[in-house]
Amino acid sequence: MAGIFGIYAFEDIWNVSRFVYYGLLGLQHRGQEKAVISVSDGTITSLTGDGMVQESFSESSLASLKGNVGIGGVSTRDINGYVGRDIVIFVDGSLLVDENLAQRILEATQSKEELVELTKIFSKIEDAFTMLILTQDKIYAARDSLGLKPLCIGGIGFDLAVVSSESSALDVVGAEYSRDIKPGEVVVIDKYYIQSEQNNSNAKAHCGFEYVYFARPDSYINGIPIHEARYKIGELLARRNKVGADVVIAVPETSIPFAMAYSNVSGIPIDLGFVRTGRHTRTAIKPTQMERMIGVQLKLNPVATAIRGKRVILIDDSVVRGTTTRNIVSLLRKKGAREVHVRIGSPKLISPCPFGTEVPPKDELIAVENNEEEIARIVGADTFAYLDIEDLKGCIKLPLCLGCFTGEYPEVTK
Amino acid sequence: MKFLIVGEGAREHAIAQKASETYDVYSAMGILNPGLKRIAREYALTDTLSPQKVSDYADKIRPEIIFIGSEESLFAGVSDELRKRGHVVIGASSATAMIEKSKAFMRRLMENHNMEGRLRFKTFASLEHASKYIEEFAGSIAIKPARQAGGKGVKVIADMQAYLKGEKADVKRKHAQKIVEEKMSGDLNEQVLIEEKVEGVEYTLQCFTDGRHVVPLPLVQDHPHAYEEDIGPETGGMGSISGKGNLLPFIRQEEYDGSQKLIEKVLDAIHEETGERYVGVISGQFMLTDKWGPTIIEFYSRLGDPEASNIMPLLQNFPEICEGVARQNVSNMKAKCENVCTVVKCVAPKGYPNERNIGRGHPIVVDEKILDKYGARVFFGSAFEENGKIFTAGSRVCEVFSKGETIEEAGMTVERAMTAIHSPHKLFWRQDIATPELLRKRITTADLARDIYNYRLTKGLIGKTIDWLPGIGRIET
Repeated sequence: MAGIFGIYAFEDIWNVSRFVYYGLLGLQHRGQEKAVISVSDGTITSLTGDGMVQESFSESSLASLKGNVGIGGVSTRDINGYVGRDIVIFVDGSLLVDENLAQRILEATQSKEELVELTKIFSKIEDAFTMLILTQDKIYAARDSLGLKPLCIGGIGFDLAVVSSESSALDVVGAEYSRDIKPGEVVVIDKYYIQSEQNNSNAKAHCGFEYVYFARPDSYINGIPIHEARYKIGELLARRNKVGADVVIAVPETSIPFAMAYSNVSGIPIDLGFVRTGRHTRTAIKPTQMERMIGVQLKLNPVATAIRGKRVILIDDSVVRGTTTRNIVSLLRKKGAREVHVRIGSPKLISPCPFGTEVPPKDELIAVENNEEEIARIVGADTFAYLDIEDLKGCIKLPLCLGCFTGEYPEVTK
Repeated sequence: MKFLIVGEGAREHAIAQKASETYDVYSAMGILNPGLKRIAREYALTDTLSPQKVSDYADKIRPEIIFIGSEESLFAGVSDELRKRGHVVIGASSATAMIEKSKAFMRRLMENHNMEGRLRFKTFASLEHASKYIEEFAGSIAIKPARQAGGKGVKVIADMQAYLKGEKADVKRKHAQKIVEEKMSGDLNEQVLIEEKVEGVEYTLQCFTDGRHVVPLPLVQDHPHAYEEDIGPETGGMGSISGKGNLLPFIRQEEYDGSQKLIEKVLDAIHEETGERYVGVISGQFMLTDKWGPTIIEFYSRLGDPEASNIMPLLQNFPEICEGVARQNVSNMKAKCENVCTVVKCVAPKGYPNERNIGRGHPIVVDEKILDKYGARVFFGSAFEENGKIFTAGSRVCEVFSKGETIEEAGMTVERAMTAIHSPHKLFWRQDIATPELLRKRITTADLARDIYNYRLTKGLIGKTIDWLPGIGRIET
């Protein structure tokens, strides 16, 4: 998974490097292992770093980046893309950009019919991608024909155009959201125009995981406000598998809107269940088991008075291996919870993602072999229930890729 | 009756087209506009900024009415000289056209007369003072040349993120420097104007006036961003829309009335300040803001361009109004307009707006049969004719007009009609103008501004800013 951000100032009196930096902060939730910024003032300069954005770039390193055009990326693993002298490419998705592809893209950008040439290349790619391309004086933004990963465009006054994986980063730099880049579309931003070319594709399939887990709640993805989508999911969780309880508790932070809606519909009060130690990290996308464990332990110190003697409804966004859920349930029991009923804001995760989202192989997914009743026993809960997949479809009302929940995937080139 | 139009743009083409329904049209233009050439019984290629040359031509023709289209002719004193020689002119005198020429004059006038819809501002005669101010009082501002410079040189900076303040201060300083170094304020003493930035939806109210009364026209909204979705550099306008019943879908009758009152007040204030009655056209470039509701961004001393092209084709009593202005009496006069929606889209050559030389001198062909087929019209702007061929002149080359039952419908007609326009050079226009999506966005923005200004109205806070500073106390401005 990755987050990508680009900004174009129509006049060269602007230096955009700090805009890219803050834009990446607004996408930090999409990748916390690597960060990269490239800017151009006619000459491209790039900086890469390990870890969070704020650790990756210092004041002095940022000051060395100058240009009126820039792009950046954050990633859950090594940056997927290509950093060259004449071209920089950052990708969110499963597409791997090798030297050869980068060269072909560079040549396409230099041709007279740049958008037509780029569209030709992109229409043959069978992997998922959203992509930002920086040349010496242009930015190109592209999305695969299914529109799997999100990408949107906006502007700041008369001065700057901005593209970003999510609208949250537009807000952070003070840009106004204009629209989503369409599936199969390539947009070029340069001094003379913003233009686009689109593959005629009817087979759209937006990543469903964005809605339940990945995107920030203040973002709009494919025109759908994430917070509203999660709120609806929470309402449905409360309407199904009803159970009497005294308190609703969310596993922070993605699950909070689910839990709020659950509480409002069920009438069961919501309470503060956990307090975080240290900085906010996304535990589910940490690469190793040890890191995930450390993350969970630091993230989730239970507030005993909210739990003791109570029948607890515990809301989480997803269950991968079940280890984290099991730890949390056990923590709640140790703090005196009388009953623990687990509700999950997404359907059963049963299949890996071929499009770049880090879902472990099948034999590491608890839902592949176990039904809800069995999982309840494994994690030590009184009851356990997933979101029904039909309910998820009903909440989003867009053509979705739900491959990780069903094992059936759309084809990228169609 | 003879009617002389002074000017060479799409606005003048639209005015001349309307005038030709009644009058014998004559044209004084700086470049050979293909549209004006066709309409005019006779034309003169002349410097339309020269009072002598234009007046000499008028002396020769002896027209009953002279209509001056562009502000620069007014600033240069063309209307003054024509009147001195006894001609009947629709166009403000150079003294009263100061309402457009000097943004500092306009802001001061509004402040001195305590008018609603005013904005806080400061003017600077030197870069040094402007830079010092930018350093000390950062915030969301618009930096402009003190003089009207064809919409050029205006920079609007929203400065809401403390973490990006440094970058923005830098751009503000560099921009003020550009205004001073490139002498954008020309002959004025004050060079740089800084005013508070406001947010909302913009609209234009164009009025004919005798200086005492106004004949307001239907509202029009222009689209200043160069590119789709309101992104990109500021232009003179990439297209405009108008709705039924004199209103736009996002402006209410009481807001229209308030805007008209504001224009009437400023006409009185101009009379008080200059001792002259304003005779001609005055247009308010308004924004519906949360601070005031109708708020003045700029005044035009002429019809808007492209806004003129929306309304001229609809106007049914153009001669009555023109002759009223000529007699300097338009009391109780109303504009009679066909009650339809209109859309105008401007076509620009690649290079516009920032590198116009790239867009200059390219051939362009307009197939009138296709336009007729769809019921659209074209008004030529920055275009000239040479040896029977039409060429681009660097700015917006033409405007395509259509009317319809809805704005969306008129917009679709314009889009179809665009197939009539060809050039080997890359041309662009905004396809998003008049789409339901963009109209919805305008309605949302207007509703937001309206909710806040109504709250301010009920709390007696309209137009006010109240601060409380630790150690200093309450400051009301």
